[in-house]
Amino acid sequence: MINYIIRRILLMFPTLIGMTFIIFAVIRMAPGLTTAGGTFAPGMLGAHQAQLAEKQFMERRLHLVNREGKPIPLVIQYFDWLGRIANGDLGTSIKFSEPVTKLVLQRLPVTLVINAISLVIIYLVAVPGGMLAAVYHGRFIDRAFGIGSLVLYSLPIIWVGSMAIGFLANPEYLNWFPSAGLHATNTSHMSYFQYVSDYAWHITLPVLCLSYGGFAYLAKQVRGSYLENLFTDFTRTARAKGLPPSAVLLRHVTQNSLLPMITIIGMTVPGLLGGSVIVEKIFSIEGMGRLMYQATYARDLPVIQSMALVSAAITLFSYLLVDIAYHAVDPRVTYD
Amino acid sequence: MTEAGPLLYRDTPVGPPPRTYWSLVLGKIMRPWLAKVCVCYIGLVLLISITVPLIATSKPYVIQIRTARGWVTRYPLLADLTTRDYLGFIAGATAAGIVIARRLTRRPDMLRQRRLRFITVSALICSAVLGGTAVALLHHNRFDGTDYQSMVKSGAARDAIFAPIRWGYAEMEPLSQNAINQLPSWQHWLGTDRSGRDVLSRMLWASRVAMGIGFVSQAIALTLGILVGALMGYFGGIFDLLGMRLVEMVEAIPTFFLILTFIAIFGRSILMIMVILGVTGWTGYARFLRAEFLRIRQLDYIVAARAGGLPLWRILFRHMLPNGLTPVLVSASFGLAGAVTIESSLSYLGVGVRPPTPSWGGMLNAAGNPSTVFHWFEALPPGIALFLIVLAFNIVGEALRDAIDPKSLS
Repeated sequence: MINYIIRRILLMFPTLIGMTFIIFAVIRMAPGLTTAGGTFAPGMLGAHQAQLAEKQFMERRLHLVNREGKPIPLVIQYFDWLGRIANGDLGTSIKFSEPVTKLVLQRLPVTLVINAISLVIIYLVAVPGGMLAAVYHGRFIDRAFGIGSLVLYSLPIIWVGSMAIGFLANPEYLNWFPSAGLHATNTSHMSYFQYVSDYAWHITLPVLCLSYGGFAYLAKQVRGSYLENLFTDFTRTARAKGLPPSAVLLRHVTQNSLLPMITIIGMTVPGLLGGSVIVEKIFSIEGMGRLMYQATYARDLPVIQSMALVSAAITLFSYLLVDIAYHAVDPRVTYD
Repeated sequence: MTEAGPLLYRDTPVGPPPRTYWSLVLGKIMRPWLAKVCVCYIGLVLLISITVPLIATSKPYVIQIRTARGWVTRYPLLADLTTRDYLGFIAGATAAGIVIARRLTRRPDMLRQRRLRFITVSALICSAVLGGTAVALLHHNRFDGTDYQSMVKSGAARDAIFAPIRWGYAEMEPLSQNAINQLPSWQHWLGTDRSGRDVLSRMLWASRVAMGIGFVSQAIALTLGILVGALMGYFGGIFDLLGMRLVEMVEAIPTFFLILTFIAIFGRSILMIMVILGVTGWTGYARFLRAEFLRIRQLDYIVAARAGGLPLWRILFRHMLPNGLTPVLVSASFGLAGAVTIESSLSYLGVGVRPPTPSWGGMLNAAGNPSTVFHWFEALPPGIALFLIVLAFNIVGEALRDAIDPKSLS
């Protein structure tokens, strides 16, 4: 097992390094990044920020030009950048005038918590749903669940989000939920329980918006794998020896249908991260998605390239966890 | 390949006409009424997106204007059309012609196929020549700001035939407090937005952005995916290894983050968004085609084609591609739904299509921005339009997937 994990981690590195190469190449295509100081999206930045961009550019050019005044080759720039990443230095944000590492560390936990809660909700709804659909396959429940999840999957987040915030978090209509942020303005006087319930109240709408679209795909896979296992010999044997149907379903069939459920966690994570850009914008949550949005709007390239890198690293890490879990559940899988 | 020996049919005149794989598949999709309705709906939206310059504009088709020399007949709408509009008409007419010709020639034997190809090509050339001369000859007046409706009212013009919806996408009512954020009325069927523009007209014009970006970006993604996937699947070895690593790397960056990165660097004109969605969306197609090609490569008829000394491109694109294309096309339906969603999300965030070009996402943002007053009657139409088109693409995709599933193919 440990052997397997080590090998799997070692295999992750070439992909990660290739990805840094892609990101570096794409960012290098930005017009005028290192040839003229003022091209950091003129007009979008304030005077102070433009000055900072200028300063950062001058520093960077001093860094990029060697003693004879010749530009340093791209290869060396690339390895220099890699080295700085390895030291935890992601550059300085132009818009926020702060180190990107600090910004990312501030905002990453917010996004991760919301995504994790959404993932749990997706599984809590889709797995029993898919199971029911498989047991009653071809009947009304199956069709209703299939069509319902497809409809939910097709509902655009931007519409659901703006309708939710417009009707449910609006003093003009129903003022049930707060419209922005993660906490009430003053949290210092709250007890622990009050703090948690306030937090739950704030994230209800964002989490719902993130999770409703994820049911369809997972439920379809769960239904498929349950259907496959419902008509096998071992299921018939278990029934024949007198086990009640629920025991057969929950024990024999479920154990064999676990694998696709685990794989899909890995596929859901990139989608959730992408969705959090929209959800965090709608509900004004200071998370990673909103940072990415703000950076795109202001063309804050140091932040953008770090965000691409960090989100890719999170995805790769979730793939790694999925592979390890897969291996733990089904030891037949090897990595040769 | 599901029919036993199609060659036998050619020799025996009795029996049903041979059905190709695709006609079987299409017959299977068209059977569920839901998928049929969805295909019709997508066709309708496509038709609207092509013909919208004729439907929603303030320019009349024909008008007689009083001048010093008496009444003069003018055609302001035709003069207002751009080259892009004409190109859209030509493409739409050609596509419709191909579909109708296929319907008419139900049993395509060699001769009919050749005739069909001749009809298609000549229709293309004719419409291109006609369109080109029309563009060249017509007095082109893109910045025609004349208010023909008030001219008719004041008697300076007569005998005008107007379009069904008398507002363009960027034309505002004379600004006053009564003109903005109106509820639906007889004059504005879906009301007006916060700048006093007709919502229905903007809805129709926005379908053009959605469908254009959806189809063009997926065409780019398909082309890229087919090229990369075909090379990986056919050659295998080092191509396969490197190609799959590339696919994995691109897929590891969450699509939305990747697209935002590209937009921050390359800007956000409509053309650029099409290219960006295409360049970031090819990996799924490449994966599917690679898997199919790995399977097909070992079949006898490919070995025979290779032994016969056919050139590589002919083996790849003439013999292998038609048999490996099906799963790719199924995922293209879902890809279209995704592209439309992403385009609207980008416009909603304010990093998509630039205003005043209407987009369903941008209209949603204008209606439901948390910092302003919420106008639900403006948020309803674009949201429903988006939902319906995405749902239609997804249902067609599901029907296609069921149809090509070998377990369900009779």
